[in-house]
Amino acid sequence: MVDHVWSWVVLGPLRLPVSKHLLMMGIAALILLVVFPLLIRSRSAALAPFRSMIEIGVLFIRDEIVLPNMGSRGAGYVGYFATLFFFILIMNLIGLVPYGATATGNLAVTGGLALTTFVLINFSGIREQGLVGYFSHLVPKGIPGWLYPLMFPIEVLGLFIKTFALCIRLFANMIAGHIVILVFISFIFIFGSFGTAVGLGVAPVSVGLVLFTMLLELLVAFLQAYVFVMLTAIFTGAAMHPH
Amino acid sequence: MEALIRPEFGLMFWTILCFVLLALLLSRTAWRPLMQAVEERERAMKRDRSAAETARQEAEKARAELDAKLAEMKAEVARRLDEARSAAEREKDVLIAEARKSAAVIVESARREIEAQKQEAARDLKNKVAELSVLAAERIMLKQLDHRANTDLASRYLAELEKERPDLGLECK
Repeated sequence: MVDHVWSWVVLGPLRLPVSKHLLMMGIAALILLVVFPLLIRSRSAALAPFRSMIEIGVLFIRDEIVLPNMGSRGAGYVGYFATLFFFILIMNLIGLVPYGATATGNLAVTGGLALTTFVLINFSGIREQGLVGYFSHLVPKGIPGWLYPLMFPIEVLGLFIKTFALCIRLFANMIAGHIVILVFISFIFIFGSFGTAVGLGVAPVSVGLVLFTMLLELLVAFLQAYVFVMLTAIFTGAAMHPH
Repeated sequence: MEALIRPEFGLMFWTILCFVLLALLLSRTAWRPLMQAVEERERAMKRDRSAAETARQEAEKARAELDAKLAEMKAEVARRLDEARSAAEREKDVLIAEARKSAAVIVESARREIEAQKQEAARDLKNKVAELSVLAAERIMLKQLDHRANTDLASRYLAELEKERPDLGLECK
């Protein structure tokens, strides 16, 4: 669960790790960069189901997530959200493959993704309303004037809290399943220390529970990718249209 | 455990770099062709739907026209039937009137004929009666008086009788 750093690359002031999570992220990026365009462009009938799966995902993001939350101006952001969704989803799913690691179960990765969301929220808000308009609309309409000095810092803080919550939510959801699986497997050895027979007796129960948790994790992998994208769209939409 | 929640800022940098590059590249290589294909299909569907709608409207219009034509034809047929019926009615009336007229003519001529016959018979009878009377008187007078005086007398008697009893119809017409 903890990242294994194999070596460090030093680029000026940056000290960059080369680690297992980075490898997994790279694999996810490779899949997205190579497999997706090939699938989308292929005309082969055998690949049509995969093509339509991607298409359904993208159309769902467009019609159910981006357009309802961001309005017709959000159409240009569909590519960003589709990338975000599939990037997170593939990183989540790689974590369920043997020898794979969950890159999204690393606070740095989810923090990086949340930072891009933070930038996107502010960028789209400023682009849509202008710098002054964006900051003046940060506080909701209909608030008494004397509350402004109080509300403005709260709203600015809210921006950070929203993205911080995004970061923590994805991280915690992805790591929790792994911890539970680890606990169930540890049970075998804990009970095994009382006697081999006890350990062997507990093993089937533990394996069954692990299987169940794995299935739950599969659901969570899709769910959290969806939730992350959905919340990003809601926050961005709110920044674009303050009313 | 502490390593679990200590963010590695180098990895955060990698993540951001990776994601931004992905977003830039994928929007060109993957999402654009995908959305183009999807929009193409949506357009084609819209076009097909509108074509089907137009065809349906045309069919509707054609049907309405046919209906109108049919109704017109029905009205025409009904009108012609009415016309024919009233013509037949008129014809019948005319024929009946003519038949009545000719029947009346026939009856009239028959009546005239009968009248003529009757008068003829009456005249004949009168002549015969006169002749028979004369013959009878002649036979009588042959025995008593001379034939001539008796005949005159009989004629006188007959004339008197005619005047007295015109209802007998002995008078010559």
